[in-house]
Amino acid sequence: MDSAVELQDVSKSFGKFRAVDGLSFRVPKGVVFGLLGPNGAGKTTTIRMIMNITAPDSGQILVLGRPLDRETQNRIGYLPEERGLYRKMKVMDHLMFLADIKSVDRRTARQRIGEWLDKMELRPWLRKKVDELSKGMQQKVQFIATIVHDPEILILDEVFSGLDPINAALVKEYLIDFRKRGKTILFSTHVLEQAEKLCDEICLMSKSKKILEGNLKDLKLRHAGDELRLAIQATPAEVAALPGVHRSSAANGEFVISLAPGTDRRDFLRRALERHDIRAFSQREPELEEIYLAAVREAGLEETRTIE
Amino acid sequence: MSGKKIFAVIRREYIERVRTKAFWIGTALIPVFFMAYIGIQVATSHNAAGNRTVAVVDVSGRLYEPLARDLAERESRARAERGGKSVHWILAPRPVTGDLAATKEALRQEVLSKKIDGYLVLDPSLIEKDRIEYYSGNVSEYVAQNQLERAVNHVLLKERIEKRGLPADLSSELERHADLRPFKVTKAGATEEKGAALFTVLIFMIILYTTFLMYGMQNMKGVIDEKTNRIVEVIIASVRPTELMIGKIVGIGLVGLTQYLIWSLIAMNLTLPAIAGILTTPESGIPQIPISMILYFILFFVFGYFLYASIYTAIGAPFNTDQEAQQLSMVPMFFIVSVWAFFPSLMNNPNGGVAIFASLFPLTSPLAMFLRTSMGQPPGWQVALSIVLLIASTLLIAWVAGRVYRVGILMYGKKPTIPEIARWVRYRPGQAPQPAAREAS
Repeated sequence: MDSAVELQDVSKSFGKFRAVDGLSFRVPKGVVFGLLGPNGAGKTTTIRMIMNITAPDSGQILVLGRPLDRETQNRIGYLPEERGLYRKMKVMDHLMFLADIKSVDRRTARQRIGEWLDKMELRPWLRKKVDELSKGMQQKVQFIATIVHDPEILILDEVFSGLDPINAALVKEYLIDFRKRGKTILFSTHVLEQAEKLCDEICLMSKSKKILEGNLKDLKLRHAGDELRLAIQATPAEVAALPGVHRSSAANGEFVISLAPGTDRRDFLRRALERHDIRAFSQREPELEEIYLAAVREAGLEETRTIE
Repeated sequence: MSGKKIFAVIRREYIERVRTKAFWIGTALIPVFFMAYIGIQVATSHNAAGNRTVAVVDVSGRLYEPLARDLAERESRARAERGGKSVHWILAPRPVTGDLAATKEALRQEVLSKKIDGYLVLDPSLIEKDRIEYYSGNVSEYVAQNQLERAVNHVLLKERIEKRGLPADLSSELERHADLRPFKVTKAGATEEKGAALFTVLIFMIILYTTFLMYGMQNMKGVIDEKTNRIVEVIIASVRPTELMIGKIVGIGLVGLTQYLIWSLIAMNLTLPAIAGILTTPESGIPQIPISMILYFILFFVFGYFLYASIYTAIGAPFNTDQEAQQLSMVPMFFIVSVWAFFPSLMNNPNGGVAIFASLFPLTSPLAMFLRTSMGQPPGWQVALSIVLLIASTLLIAWVAGRVYRVGILMYGKKPTIPEIARWVRYRPGQAPQPAAREAS
């Protein structure tokens, strides 16, 4: 599979502070890729290096198979963390300008902006100054600005921060839609729940380093513990009495069970089936946060910062 | 560099600025102020008018009568020359009652109570020392006082002539005065009056001066604006910082040129008689502006503007508010304004050390050298050196500004120190910024 973005052993320091340390990862085309980690992990610096806003001290960054040039730059939609608009410009003029600097010809731009303004229900505001728009509407305008040139790759830094819930849902919807159309999305967030719902692939960062990378489903399988989810026709006492049960707890009509060491899962299930009716049985998937914390522990990096 | 992207920035910068109300209000008001200023100047200097009630304390007893006659004559002559406008003198003799000091004190009270405008003391003991005293509530009426002074001197001259037994009518002949009319010698061999040239040169100087000051400052404000609006990072994902900087500087410069174009169109159409009279020569009827002056103007305009715009851009980039940048922005402003401090030297001693320094030093040379080339012919090597220094420092400062800009526009949060800003200049190209200080928010 071709890569949309590839980092090879990239480092960046600011004075004595090492912001990014030997970072490598690959974003395959057509996936939603999450760059995750707490604040200060180096996500924004990484994204700025991909955008060629900051140059790396060492290492190489390839976008669509080569170092970023003007032509590929025009194929990226970028929404920085520090994002804003010219307050005195009219919505339409503003979007036209941003399309202009992405080298979209004016006719195509006008048409595309019109479509998006309709979709986002901003049409009546097209001749208004940015100033006169509500914060939520300005966020919509920013989002249109990011995609007005129909980019192949979207790079979004903390895209959900500051969005109101309605716009957050809207953006999520559009991102899923983008992926369906074969586009690549790379986004950073420090909110792991958001990533969990959207990402195909992730890269976890902590203290300037990568601590984990891969397909989210694979990672979940790999990090799945020996906990089971069981929908069973039995009382808690009966469940606790099943052979091989080390610990069990009831939640939402289900039981989460951890087996005693050395117990075979199939054996346990067979015996449980002999005694009770089982409606559903699954291995409990770990939450992304658990994977993250486990990875931090493994990497020997004591996590001092909090994760929201 | 992408011309298309720079052009997009120029277009936005230009259109958005020309569309603002502030631009049109400024364009409309500045000529009004300028005309009003000239009008007031003309009105106050040439058309001094109104009544002046002056008491004359003639200690000698002989001078009052001839003085009154002389002033009346001058009045009617001035009236004939200047279309009926002149100061009208109402003189009243005032005998010395008691001692002189008491009389003066009484008159002082009258001036204060506005019964009279002033009083003149003709005291022979003082006249011996070439002194005449005039007391008034307003001692800054240059034209009126000048007239009074001439009249008294004429009377005194007459008296001296008569004392020596010379013919009385000799006095008016002796008082005749020739005006010095300077003509400028140019390479073309044409001559023109200095007064007209000076007026044109001053208008060009004011255009240069305000461009550097106002439009230079606009660059700083524009840069800070883009930072406070948090738009700059969105833009540099598509446009290189250098392209953005050049686009902004050119765009803002074009706004200035548009304003001047509008003004010159207005001036040409409405050609105000007063100005036209000074500017035009009788033969052609169009302003005589030498080609060389226009070429120098363009040269100093372009490079001077670029130099100051770059400086202001570099000053704006590291800061987040106008207030933070204000202190540093005083520095270029100081150099621009300093041309008025150099002005007397440039006019009176254009080949002196101060004038040469001012016209070689790149921060003052656009204004100073333009003035010198327009008013005279400075040595060729000085003109050449001045231009070379100006172009070299414009390129250098634009380069430095580009580097500061690249780093500065991504700096949010705390106000950087000057040594920090200096360090940014040394970063390798593309090697720019630090993390926005707020990354870890």
